[in-house]
Amino acid sequence: MTSPFEIAGHWWNFYRQRPFGRLVELFIARIFRGGGDADAEGLDLGIGLVLTVLAMPGGFVSLLLLDKYGTFAQWLRGLKPFDVLQAALPDEYFFIVLSMVVTGAVAVWRWDAIFPDRRDYINLVPLPIATKTIFSANLVAVVFLAGLVSLDVNAVSCILFPAVVAATQMKFLFFVKFAAIHAVGVLLSSFFSFFAVFSLLGLLMALLPPSAFRRVSAYARGIVVVYLVTLLCTTAAVPSLLRHATGPAPGWTFLLPSCWFLGLCQWMRGRATPAMVELAKLTLPLLLAVIAVAFCVYVAGYRRHFIRIAELTETIAEPRRNPTSHLRLRPLLSRLLRTPFQIACFAFVWKTLRRSETHRLVLTAVAGLGLVLSSQALMNAMDDAPSARQAALSPDALSIPFILTFLIIVGLRVVFEIPVELRANWIFQLMLDPNQPECEALARNVILIFLLPCIFVPAFPLYAYLEGFTVAALHTLLVITWTVLLTNILLVRFRKLPFTCTLPLFKQHSIVILISFVFGFLIYALSTPEFESSALQQPLRMLTLVPVVIAAWLIPHYLEKNTPDIDRKLIFEESPSRTIELLQLGD
Amino acid sequence: MLEAVHLTKRYASLPAVQDLSFSLRPGQVLGCLGPNGSGKSTTVKMLSGLLQPTRGTVQFDGHNIQDDLTAYRKHLGYVPEEAHLYPYLSGWEYLEMIGTLRGMPDFELAKKIDSLLELFSLHPHRHATIGTYSKGMRQRILLIAAIMHNPDIFIFDEPLSGLDVTSALIIKNLVQALGLSGKLVFYCSHVLEVVEKICSDVLILRKGVVIAQDSVANIGQILGQSLENTFLHLVDEVDTVTVARDIVDVISMRSRLSAA
Repeated sequence: MTSPFEIAGHWWNFYRQRPFGRLVELFIARIFRGGGDADAEGLDLGIGLVLTVLAMPGGFVSLLLLDKYGTFAQWLRGLKPFDVLQAALPDEYFFIVLSMVVTGAVAVWRWDAIFPDRRDYINLVPLPIATKTIFSANLVAVVFLAGLVSLDVNAVSCILFPAVVAATQMKFLFFVKFAAIHAVGVLLSSFFSFFAVFSLLGLLMALLPPSAFRRVSAYARGIVVVYLVTLLCTTAAVPSLLRHATGPAPGWTFLLPSCWFLGLCQWMRGRATPAMVELAKLTLPLLLAVIAVAFCVYVAGYRRHFIRIAELTETIAEPRRNPTSHLRLRPLLSRLLRTPFQIACFAFVWKTLRRSETHRLVLTAVAGLGLVLSSQALMNAMDDAPSARQAALSPDALSIPFILTFLIIVGLRVVFEIPVELRANWIFQLMLDPNQPECEALARNVILIFLLPCIFVPAFPLYAYLEGFTVAALHTLLVITWTVLLTNILLVRFRKLPFTCTLPLFKQHSIVILISFVFGFLIYALSTPEFESSALQQPLRMLTLVPVVIAAWLIPHYLEKNTPDIDRKLIFEESPSRTIELLQLGD
Repeated sequence: MLEAVHLTKRYASLPAVQDLSFSLRPGQVLGCLGPNGSGKSTTVKMLSGLLQPTRGTVQFDGHNIQDDLTAYRKHLGYVPEEAHLYPYLSGWEYLEMIGTLRGMPDFELAKKIDSLLELFSLHPHRHATIGTYSKGMRQRILLIAAIMHNPDIFIFDEPLSGLDVTSALIIKNLVQALGLSGKLVFYCSHVLEVVEKICSDVLILRKGVVIAQDSVANIGQILGQSLENTFLHLVDEVDTVTVARDIVDVISMRSRLSAA
């Protein structure tokens, strides 16, 4: 007897022998492996790894919820009557948001690869294939990608989350019903997110000339990333606000598609409030509208761009207006940076951060997260205090620069590890002395030159105006000190020129590092402002921080001094640590 | 003087270059010829210090270059085979970065970059990003980056690739001029006519081994033929005319089958 998999295999083999099937296969592969001309190489991950990474968050979060829904845990907490559907509402909202954010992020990440590019044009158009066949094959690949990502992101949570929730019910039918509704909610939200990003891309392509599209595209992606981060940050507050909303749906819920899909799920379960019913009714029409818009703008964008690629290929480098020369800043940089290496590489790092889309996107996401957390802290500070002066001294307000500096320093540290155009690093391999790397100093200078003015310029005058010179000086000094110390700690044993080394490998201690970041954030951005808030009342209490500062200053220096020479060498390739080393005596 | 002394490079156990020895004197333009996979690029990378030899040494003025690579590279101008550059930097920014890394003084750097960009017809495009450059324009940027600090040793790996006729002629004359001014020039190429015209000496590699090394004039006289015929005789075991005829036979096979 033939299994469905074998039938599907035969069917696929039959179709992939035909030009259309081959084209679909080609486009699917290029969407995963990267299109565009520039820096696809840096993050070219395999399909399997990408799908595994995308599926992980849903699975992990479902497992973490075992504690919440476990009957034993409930019994220990003394919670007897437990409305499981009521309790599942915030979690369901979280899964909807997660599904939208991950799928939207994939669409943003693969933005350049969704449409056929110049490489496709050069390879495919000379072949005896109709342009409409190329168009249709790419469309099929895009729809396939949307389906695959939606399924992959939600597959684990569609089974695990309902299983965890239904564990208290002991009814299989409850599980089936809950799982089916949950699956509909998260899958539709995933589709919506993907096609919304796709529509935006197509719309820009259809409306803008190619050169303007390239410029605007970068900003549009940044805005989408910030929106997705903001959406993720709504998971804590929105469910409770929605649950307690009486009457018609509040205006802000129309701006959050995740609310519509939550409304749909609740409506299907018969637990929807009038506001949720109102939102649920929006879901299907808007989803269909987004898909229709995506299709129309895809057709228009395709006609406008793909057909005209040949004309663009002929265009030679367009002269631009003279940008601000790096040499004009040379006197200033020469004072701050000591060696030609640092001066040259500072410009390289700075320009990469400004111009490489991958790096800019990661930094935008981090900055977006910082912005959301800071706004939340500011709102909390304003809520709790009667005046701006009192609000400024609250731990929430004081935490804002700490939150921002922590996220930006960590973000920059992570971004330094992401390679760009690896094949071009031969020039650094040729010119730099691997035994005398100044990479740590360079990275520190980049971070501090970028951050210190950003801290000093707003924080000092604002606090001087609100609280007087002493408080302003103490607060600014503390933030600057913490910034320098965190930078030093994060750059211990950093021996790469940013962006020129292969991606770091997953090591056994990577999870420990991740947990350290979370704890680090708690200490740096939450505990320090708590202490500062009380210490600013009696400034002498600030002196108790001196031993902490000395220790945090000396430890990285001690570690750096005791680093073996082999671990100081400049590297351009991350090599796995081997269990067995071959001596290669025969060579 | 630059010397390769019993150079050997193995990738895992596969030898790419075996026991390669030659010397390059000031004023000499040494051409390196060989079919694909003959070890030309590996040799170039070892000479430039990008690859460490498995055995043997590269010596500059009697010192092993691996002892002080940084000092050696100050004397080196290298043009790689493929123009891998950072696409988001402009031509001017890239050259400025290279000049700064080489420790060139500011006033000299700006002046040299401007003049060289002008001479290589890139000045109008100096502020466009390299990603928008054609292959020839990228190649010219590489050439400027290699020569602007006035090095003593030049290593060119297929420098004419992608260049237009005028630029190619300029480079050919430049290489000869560099040789005449007492620089050491190692010139790798597939194009026999170019090597024949601009190089004083030639080194022919096959499967990682030197099979001939002499002045261009002497090599040609080995068989009393042109450099091209001598090269084919020494390197290739195939009859190129027969292969070309076979290719035509294969591509017309389908029509013959259909006719049958």
